[in-house]
Amino acid sequence: MKPRATGIAYAMLAPALLLLGLFVVWPLCRALFWSVQGVGLLNLDAAAWNRGANYSYLLSDPRFRQAFLNTAWFVVMVVPLQCAGAFFLALWVNRPERYWRWLRTVFFIPVVVSMPVLAVLWTMLYQPAEGTQMGLVNAVLTTVGLSAQDWLHDPQLALPALAFMSIWQGVGFQMMIFLAGLQQLSSEQLEAARIDGANACQRLWYVIVPGMRHSIVFVMTATTILAFRLFVQPYLMTRGGPQDRTLSVIQYIYETTFLNRDLGLASAGAVLFLLLVAVITWAQYHVQRRGAA
Amino acid sequence: MKRWAGWLLSGVVAGLFLLPLAWMLHASFRPEPMIFQTGPAVWLEWEALTVNHYMAAWRRARFGQALLNSLLQIIGIIGFGLFINSMAAFAFARFSFPGRDLLFALVLVLLILPIEVLVIPLFLTARDLQLTGGYAATLGALILPFSAKAINVFFLRQHFLSLPTELEEAARVDGAGWWRIYWNIALPSIKPALATVIVLDVLTHWSDFIWPLVVCTRAETRTVQISLANLFTEPPIQWGAILACAVMATVPVLLIFRFAQRHIVTSDLSAGIK
Repeated sequence: MKPRATGIAYAMLAPALLLLGLFVVWPLCRALFWSVQGVGLLNLDAAAWNRGANYSYLLSDPRFRQAFLNTAWFVVMVVPLQCAGAFFLALWVNRPERYWRWLRTVFFIPVVVSMPVLAVLWTMLYQPAEGTQMGLVNAVLTTVGLSAQDWLHDPQLALPALAFMSIWQGVGFQMMIFLAGLQQLSSEQLEAARIDGANACQRLWYVIVPGMRHSIVFVMTATTILAFRLFVQPYLMTRGGPQDRTLSVIQYIYETTFLNRDLGLASAGAVLFLLLVAVITWAQYHVQRRGAA
Repeated sequence: MKRWAGWLLSGVVAGLFLLPLAWMLHASFRPEPMIFQTGPAVWLEWEALTVNHYMAAWRRARFGQALLNSLLQIIGIIGFGLFINSMAAFAFARFSFPGRDLLFALVLVLLILPIEVLVIPLFLTARDLQLTGGYAATLGALILPFSAKAINVFFLRQHFLSLPTELEEAARVDGAGWWRIYWNIALPSIKPALATVIVLDVLTHWSDFIWPLVVCTRAETRTVQISLANLFTEPPIQWGAILACAVMATVPVLLIFRFAQRHIVTSDLSAGIK
């Protein structure tokens, strides 16, 4: 039985809730409000209702469409590869010996190093060949007989190059969550399947995957949302180029605010983005509900 | 035979993860013309290595100041945040009061809000509160919006709920007030959870980028990541200095990770989702 203590409860909640209200809820309300206003960053007082012109402009702006398509492509490349990679890495290193625990740490290290550092580093690793000078990626490729590429300036290659680097950076995080899920699997079931003569593929498909359903849905949703939030990599590595081929949605919102100073348009972009995140989260919730029922 | 193949494969994969970082470390000591030089020989020329890039990076990126700013930001967020988030978590876990379920549902909704999207209105809110411009104001803007955190309230509430309450009830009978019970009994019993929150917050805020990019407008207010980004984008581009700065921005988190690894309990990260 919980004690009723209204006064003290509110006193303990007040600091956190007031700050959340001031710095999360209030900005969110302002974004919703501005998204239907014609308003500039430097003349907030001149805001005026403009009948959803921001939204219709955004949906017909080829640059916003390009940003959305780029981000969606990035998600399509990163999510399956990163999740599958993390899943198999987790299966592979899920052994008790010291060596495999060390290997887990190795895969996790890029997660700990901050993204701006890695963006700067990978810009150098992707350096094109100039005489005998080139980045490490091209050095490795030419050593095994492939040709060097200008990864970050080739319109076809820039986005996949960012995706590869992002998968490398984040796969250890997903692997750790899968490992936690694997360790909660019932070993009796696995043992029973083994005794019944199920081979490795059958055990994977009929015992491990269903048993890890929760982890899989969580990791895929979290990875999808994280991938949609793409910003640091294109901002530092390609500046959205070449030819806007790596421009991301967040970068578009950022530029619209601080370069074009169109607050209304940027807010509309932010609201559309939040809707997308809400839909993904809602979908995850329903997939898990159905699984549990 | 099969065993050897396994070892070999694991070595190659480990190399894929370690080689870029090893390259960063080694290249940061090479003279500028040798940085993009290829071939195994470049790894063996020990006499040529130099620490000059580190001096240049320290000076040009104002690294000492940036390090201090990042430390103050992180200490502020964690010190203040841990206090107010655990207090709110305790109230949600222990008391019944009108509006509790509604308020908690609101906190849960805030869990999914990506901060990048709210940077614009957040910046204008910070400006209204005079949290832009000067040094102290910028520090306030770096700390205050991120101290109260829905995910931490949620996570700590789960831990308070899992505590047995006998000890707290006994203290209550002995006449202890709720503040004392929160501070002297409940908080010390969830120390492992607090450690997890601290480590994750350090790692998160050390790599903060978009918000400091917006608020750290003056050179002396830049955090470590912003100084690095600045060195990277502002001509003249000195690759050696950039690499040295990247290494210096990495060493602190690797050290923290080395000594705090056991507090990163990933099962906790996904626990709330089930």
